[in-house]
Amino acid sequence: MSALLGRSSWERDAAMAGAQAQASRGTPLSASRRTALALLASACLFVAPRRAAASDAAPIRVGLNPLFLDSEIELLSMISGYLTAQLNRPVQLVRRRTYQEITALLLSGQLDAAWVCDDPYVQHEDQLALLATPVYNGMPLYQTYVIVNENSPARTFDDLAGTIHAFSDPDSTSGYLVTRYLLALRHQTPATFFHEFFFTYGHRNVVRAVASELAGSGSIDGYVWDVMRKREPDLIDRTRVVYRSEPLGFPPVVCPKAVSQTETARAIARAFLDMPHDKLGRKLLASLQLDGFVASTPDLYLGTLEKWLVVKAQT
Amino acid sequence: MMSMISDFRSWPVSWKAPLLAAGLLVAISATISQFVLSRLATDQEANLHSLTDAYLDGVSAAVVQPVVRGDVWETFDALDRARVHYAGVAARYVIVETADRRVLAASEPRRFPIRTRVLSTVERQFPTHDGMALNADKGKAWLSRTLKIEGHPIGRVLAEIDIAALLKVRRHVFWTLLTVNGVITLAFSAIAYFALKRMLRPLGTLTSYVERVREGRAEPIPEDDRYKLSAEFRRLFDRFNAMARALNEREELAAHLATREKLAVLGKLASGMAHEVNNPLGGMFNALDTLQRHGANPEVRESTVNLLRRGFGHIRNVVRSTLVIYRSEGSVLGLAPSDLDDLRVLVEPEVARKAVHLEWRNNLDVSTPVAAGSVRQATLNLLLNACAATPSGGKISFASRIEGDSVVVVVADTGPGLAPALADYLTQGADAGVVPADGLGLWIVRRLVVDQGGVIAVSCGPIGTSIRVAWPFRTERLGGYAPAARKELAHVE
Repeated sequence: MSALLGRSSWERDAAMAGAQAQASRGTPLSASRRTALALLASACLFVAPRRAAASDAAPIRVGLNPLFLDSEIELLSMISGYLTAQLNRPVQLVRRRTYQEITALLLSGQLDAAWVCDDPYVQHEDQLALLATPVYNGMPLYQTYVIVNENSPARTFDDLAGTIHAFSDPDSTSGYLVTRYLLALRHQTPATFFHEFFFTYGHRNVVRAVASELAGSGSIDGYVWDVMRKREPDLIDRTRVVYRSEPLGFPPVVCPKAVSQTETARAIARAFLDMPHDKLGRKLLASLQLDGFVASTPDLYLGTLEKWLVVKAQT
Repeated sequence: MMSMISDFRSWPVSWKAPLLAAGLLVAISATISQFVLSRLATDQEANLHSLTDAYLDGVSAAVVQPVVRGDVWETFDALDRARVHYAGVAARYVIVETADRRVLAASEPRRFPIRTRVLSTVERQFPTHDGMALNADKGKAWLSRTLKIEGHPIGRVLAEIDIAALLKVRRHVFWTLLTVNGVITLAFSAIAYFALKRMLRPLGTLTSYVERVREGRAEPIPEDDRYKLSAEFRRLFDRFNAMARALNEREELAAHLATREKLAVLGKLASGMAHEVNNPLGGMFNALDTLQRHGANPEVRESTVNLLRRGFGHIRNVVRSTLVIYRSEGSVLGLAPSDLDDLRVLVEPEVARKAVHLEWRNNLDVSTPVAAGSVRQATLNLLLNACAATPSGGKISFASRIEGDSVVVVVADTGPGLAPALADYLTQGADAGVVPADGLGLWIVRRLVVDQGGVIAVSCGPIGTSIRVAWPFRTERLGGYAPAARKELAHVE
């Protein structure tokens, strides 16, 4: 029990759901097992009010990839405030330097939900469930850009051979996978195609690296580049896009598949989907320059999955 | 230069003192300015060291882990953030090298691309060991710091710092000091100059009055010029005025004494002339009596008239020589024996009156080349003085002779003896230090003898005095004063 109490809310919900499912299926149980289950149920019932009270106090942990904007304290505060208000529970936003760390936390059950990149989602589709997908320019889609410094003579992706390339994150679709996919189509790897490459662990950092000519080229989320063009035109004007990918499914909000049917998961999904109907939510969407969130299906991410499979096949 | 120094030494104090004060102020100002600038430079350098040390500490701490991981972006990001966090250090560029001396990341990636080596021309500017190299001319400093993990070097941080701002501050302070100190120094120098000039103004006044003393006018400084004097100058002026008054009194006294001396000389001249005129008068009156009583006798008449003629001739010579301010007659060279014998006739009335005995030995038998008038006048004075000095019943003796090339006359008496001072005067004249207040005859005797180059000898015994006078023969006509006579006259004047 103490183990149950020590686990996160979705694990506790899962345990409860499993127990209830077992009971509803009417599996013949021995007397001793029934007794044990009865005792367990009694214990659960006995502790239920206390657990509910604890759940009220325990924060919902939502992971955020360094997807688009670094150090946007105000934005994070708005997200936290909005979710707290919608869920009527304290919300703790969890951020890490790499996508991998967030994915690991999510898969290990240390997060109730996370706004992750589409690459980690397709890698772990069997373990993750879609809660909501952002709508950008009317579609739940975005593009990958490959950028160069404004002074670079490169005009196409192939012109980037021999340059120093800045990736965002090894688990980022736009910041790594798409470029890696393009190289795989050319039977190349970053090590063979580029003179040097490094990871900045942030799309904005990719822009900074290319703008300062630390790198000659970079892979970046097209949505981030577009938003930054409005917010930091001086920085963006020092870069130029030489490649735009086809539209891909926008990085989704996911939760572990095991808890996708819990009230918490549904509440989180509802909070994102209802964002346009709330004042703070609209303000948040305006800040993110998104139209809203929609419920989506795994089919939206087939393009990403294809690229991941190609790259995986090469490695 | 030396002439300038010597010229400066000769400048008046009223110029030198203010200029010296102004010069000292300028020197003090320059010294203080130099000290301040030197201290500023030292402090700036120390501050720069502290600042750059802190900067390198911060940068090193920020990049050491990324360097260990070979993380280009983290290293660059740390340098980029340091640019903001260490705004006080104007880093022109910062390079982080790995252990193989290749660039991991630099704040200027375009100039220092990753994985390349820093150009030797750039690297040469940095110190070979940890520390700072500074070039004030270029306004730059180069810093080097080895990155270490557990004592093992893993890389290096190189930074070029712009110290132009520090140098600009130093220049600004220099010009501010120069301007402010210059203005203040000029102002204080002017104040010191005029204050000292005003303080030393009494010195100028005193100098002008001292100059007047040199010109012969010892004027006391009037009270108007002593207004608002300091105590020192007031005492100085008082002493000057006392000195001026003393000088004036002395001048007045000297003038008074000169007048008195002149009057005394005039009186002496007049009485001398009267004395010389009076000397033969007794004998001449006696001759007139003889002529009156025995004028019928042709021989007596003839000799008496001749005597009278010589007596008047003597008086005429006295008056003539006085007219030419006692100039030796010099026209009569040749002393006849009768010229001396006439003197016996001239003194006889005085000999008779004093009832003394006259012994006469005129051994001169030929005419001799000496000034007859001078010999006669001097000898007559000696004879009359002897009569005056000899008591009744006493004896007067006269002797004359030729000794070598001189005529020698000896007049002796049995009087109380000539006072030593008068004897010295006769023999040594003014050199004896005594001018006879009376005894005009002696004064005339000496002048007559000395003027002719004669020599006087006096011998005084217990009783009586013997005066010996020798006149050397003269072969040329006398003209002007003899040297001794000229000296004597100068003394009298």
